[in-house]
Amino acid sequence: MRADGVLAGLDRWGRAALPGSVLLFFVLLTLAPLRAPYLSDTLPLLPALVVFQFSLATPERLPGPLLLAMGVLLDLLLGGPGAPVGVSALGFVLIRAAVVANRRYLVGVPFLFQWIGFCILMFGFVVLVWAFTTLWTWTAIDPVPAIKQYLVVAVFYPLLAPLLARVRARDPLNVPELSRGTARPGETTT
Amino acid sequence: MAIRDDFEVVAGQVRTVVQRFALGLVVVAAFVIMLIGKADTVLVEHARVLALDIASPVLEAIARPVAYANRAIADLREFASLREENARLREENARLLAWQTAARRLENENEGLRGLANFREGPEASFITARIVGDSVNAYMRGALLNVGRRVGVAPGQAVVTGEGLAGRIAEVGENSARVLFVTDVNSRLPVLIERTRERAILAGDNSTRLRLTLLQSVAGVQRGDRIVTSGHGGSFPVGIPVGEVVETNEGSVRVRPFTDFSRLEFVRVVDYGVTGLVSGSTGTPAPQAAPAGTPAPGQRVR
Repeated sequence: MRADGVLAGLDRWGRAALPGSVLLFFVLLTLAPLRAPYLSDTLPLLPALVVFQFSLATPERLPGPLLLAMGVLLDLLLGGPGAPVGVSALGFVLIRAAVVANRRYLVGVPFLFQWIGFCILMFGFVVLVWAFTTLWTWTAIDPVPAIKQYLVVAVFYPLLAPLLARVRARDPLNVPELSRGTARPGETTT
Repeated sequence: MAIRDDFEVVAGQVRTVVQRFALGLVVVAAFVIMLIGKADTVLVEHARVLALDIASPVLEAIARPVAYANRAIADLREFASLREENARLREENARLLAWQTAARRLENENEGLRGLANFREGPEASFITARIVGDSVNAYMRGALLNVGRRVGVAPGQAVVTGEGLAGRIAEVGENSARVLFVTDVNSRLPVLIERTRERAILAGDNSTRLRLTLLQSVAGVQRGDRIVTSGHGGSFPVGIPVGEVVETNEGSVRVRPFTDFSRLEFVRVVDYGVTGLVSGSTGTPAPQAAPAGTPAPGQRVR
């Protein structure tokens, strides 16, 4: 059933690489000097949002090692002196695992449920990063900025998520398992 | 055929095992990376610098259009208040001209008195102008990324200033990039002087927009509106760079508002003071160890 040829190959390759590239873009964007008042607050959490959103549709295109590498890169770019390197990687991997384990409640359900799921998981992520940073540097870090960041990104989610979800809408593999591969060439469903 | 089938069966089993424990393996890997980072800080520092060097060209490409857009918006806003702004500037100009006259007179007088007292000036600073290509402002850090690095003579610990005053110090340096730690960062400790009373103190950040003044001998002497300047103690900071002004004096806690507006920084200057003798001028070559560091020969200008 696989289409052959250079274009088809490129197409497959592009589809496979897209989630990783989008994630890399958002990791780099965390450092971009956007001086918009609330938008720049959300930037450090946007990679986690991307991981959540793509884990809903295509978790197989965000393999563990890739998440690990992206999380380490994010920590290296963001972190101040003494901040733990790898805590974002841990968070990404756990977000993906949690989404995959709870697909039932998150995929193919009204958007509101996805939003609630996002809020719950992101809260865990923020707490994880805060707790590890506090433990690692052994200083009392004020949790209020982190909570503020979390609230802004939770409100921001409905703006960005539909955009990222469009990537999934054009995916030919994104059809129910049962109906996949049963159609013959030239046959169309009515 | 049988061997090949067996092989495929075993390979399939291995694959299943790896898939089953994939999550655990990746989690363990993340922990291992964190532990390595804790144990070998030098390695992490190198990795950070490498990551910054790789990311800074990309960020610069992003930063330029963003800066243009920000400037265009600021321009539009200023058009609205052009008339008032003009009047204000004219007034300020008149006042500054008077100050200039006073400064000229004082400078002459100072020079004369220095000549009389045989005073030797400290080393002279040179500047490296840098563009801010990235913000590292998040819940845990206040800083920024610059597009200059070791190649033009930037070194850790150097002061970073703006037109208004001190912004921070260089924390990490790559080949073509550097990270600034702002004075507002929770890790920032700065030896300062209260300009009016010449009292020494430490200015500490706590990731908020206000700074905390600590280790004062007598808090009572500090008043609202007092200017805080760098003291030049214990580092390569020049003396007398303005940092901020006191805005709040409560029981035992003095809060300082920095002069630098961190929300609209675009260009900064890195002060190459050359006082340690390790960095000489803007070429980045080590200075000859003729005189012992810290005690330059009288009149010698380390530059």
